[in-house]
Amino acid sequence: MARPTRAVRWAALWMGVTAAVWLVVGLLLAVRWGSIERPSVSSRTLFPNGVMRIGIDASFPPFAVATGDDLYGLDVDLGKAIGLRLQIPTQFVNMGYDGLYDSLLSEQVDVLISALPIDYSRSRDFRFTLPYFNAGLVLIRDADQPIEGMEDLGGRSVSFEFGSDGDLVARAWLRRIRAFETRPYETPDYALDAVRLGISDAALVDAVSGRLYLRAHREWEARYSSVNDVLYGVAVRADDRELWRAVNGIIRTMLEDGSLESIIARWF
Amino acid sequence: MRPFHPIQRFLPHVVRLLVCWGCLTALMPAPPRAPLESPRTVHTQNPEVCVHTRLIDEVYEWKIQRSLQMVREMGATTIVEFFPWAYAEPQEGEYDWESFDRIARHAKNQGLQVIARMGLVPAWARADGSERATTLNYLPDDSFDAFATFVATFAARYAGVMDHIIIWNEPNLSFEWGYRPVDPQDYVRMLKAVYQPVHAANPQAVILAAPLAPTLEPTGSPNGLDDLLYLEALYAAGAAPYFDALAMHTYGFTEPPEAEPESTALNFRRAELLHAIMAEYDDPQKPVFITESGWNDHPRWTKAVRPSERVAYTVRAFEWAKAEWPWMDRLCVWALRYPANTRGYPDNFTLITPDFQATPIYYAIQAYARGWSQGGRLWLDPPAP
Repeated sequence: MARPTRAVRWAALWMGVTAAVWLVVGLLLAVRWGSIERPSVSSRTLFPNGVMRIGIDASFPPFAVATGDDLYGLDVDLGKAIGLRLQIPTQFVNMGYDGLYDSLLSEQVDVLISALPIDYSRSRDFRFTLPYFNAGLVLIRDADQPIEGMEDLGGRSVSFEFGSDGDLVARAWLRRIRAFETRPYETPDYALDAVRLGISDAALVDAVSGRLYLRAHREWEARYSSVNDVLYGVAVRADDRELWRAVNGIIRTMLEDGSLESIIARWF
Repeated sequence: MRPFHPIQRFLPHVVRLLVCWGCLTALMPAPPRAPLESPRTVHTQNPEVCVHTRLIDEVYEWKIQRSLQMVREMGATTIVEFFPWAYAEPQEGEYDWESFDRIARHAKNQGLQVIARMGLVPAWARADGSERATTLNYLPDDSFDAFATFVATFAARYAGVMDHIIIWNEPNLSFEWGYRPVDPQDYVRMLKAVYQPVHAANPQAVILAAPLAPTLEPTGSPNGLDDLLYLEALYAAGAAPYFDALAMHTYGFTEPPEAEPESTALNFRRAELLHAIMAEYDDPQKPVFITESGWNDHPRWTKAVRPSERVAYTVRAFEWAKAEWPWMDRLCVWALRYPANTRGYPDNFTLITPDFQATPIYYAIQAYARGWSQGGRLWLDPPAP
């Protein structure tokens, strides 16, 4: 049999490479398509009542607050955005914090959107979505302070609310690094005042207090960094896998397209 | 040369693996032990400081020991601990004291006094489950004597170590009364059944009538009964001769410790209203042991306060009680530590974390108990611009 000519060999190689490239592209697309958490059933099937019932504790500003019959806050906006993307009306069920999980378990509501810290010890009964907010401790200082994290506090001063988690963490760091001055105050706002007024080098407060303070003092050029995590997520019942896939997919999309950050920026 | 048999080829590798495994196993740390220390004493300026512990469900003995060391270091003289009947007498007449013994020996070793709370009914002493649903707090009248026998046996075994014994917990709540309508007269019968056998078993024993839950539940409520009404009913039913001291629970909730007591309000000084009832029934001389008290600083609980308020209120409560309540013997804070986080608001009642990290309120109570902070300020003045 005659050997293929050089041109034929090149043509075969070209076709092979092209086929391989298409195969890889196809595989990547398939993987990407498969990774998107989309409901395999319609919203009507996910919510037989024709409405997404959202359990919420409207006593925790700025996540949820009740005024008369109206609810507003970050969690309310997030719930409405999720409902919009699922093309299903939303109904908020306001209740005490202690009753949230029980109401979900007993199917009085479909999801919980209520500044709930993700708690994997509850994973037998509940699934949590990706986090939408980190409420852990933050270290806040003047923008020009050469402090990047807790390890840079040696020899400086840090203020915090007396008795708070910030106090607890500051005491723990005192045993790890060169001594620093601790300045306890009655409230997180006083601790932040101390930094803004140049009395302390940094403040260690929870992210909610810290971000609200920065919002109220926009003239202050400050920056903050996370010290630990308290991650808030949306909770659904563990056996509601399709609903979890749907809501989690929406949270992921909102994280990627910036719409979640827009909602957060509205309140912080 | 004969080829190696497969077993001969792999044998050296197997031997090496076994040697490595043996070495690694030998390097593994042994489970922590909890040998008794030389006997300790509590250094305190305020012996009324006490804390409720949660040791009975602790798996590791070293954690019991560490907890009690931290109680002593805090300057508290006394703990309150739950000793469930169902744990010690799972079958009638068959006792297993191990879990009780290890708490007793470590408390004694740390120089701590123990107030023992009795409760939790074993299955054999409850009503027939096939006839009606029962709970672990359900003790039928015909089992009062069995309960009395158990408490007397306990009192004899731990005489000199645990002389203060609380009979039951919060019987004015339906939940604590086996989900039955609460019944003060029935509780008096329980006290009467227990009192004489326990004193016969341990003449030094001090019987504490159960602390009542602070609640405003009206008469006829399925949930329970107002603690003031319940205490009155106890005295009216003739309870006085059958207890040597009264245990109380008094929480501050959202009010400071100095807030005026009112029959329609739940706050720290509600204890004064309970004591007024004792006086009304000519029983004011009996000592009062506040076996649960405190404030909570969970950010989401509606009955909580800010962390700084929790610390300040707790310290001021000790000061108030010492100055104003001569009838009070001990003021116990709920609670030292839980074996694991509950992931809810109850975590914010504790003084140390499950991994034994002391919280700021622990240090504040320590400073008070040991006399390090008389008149000292807890925090700085607000910064002035």
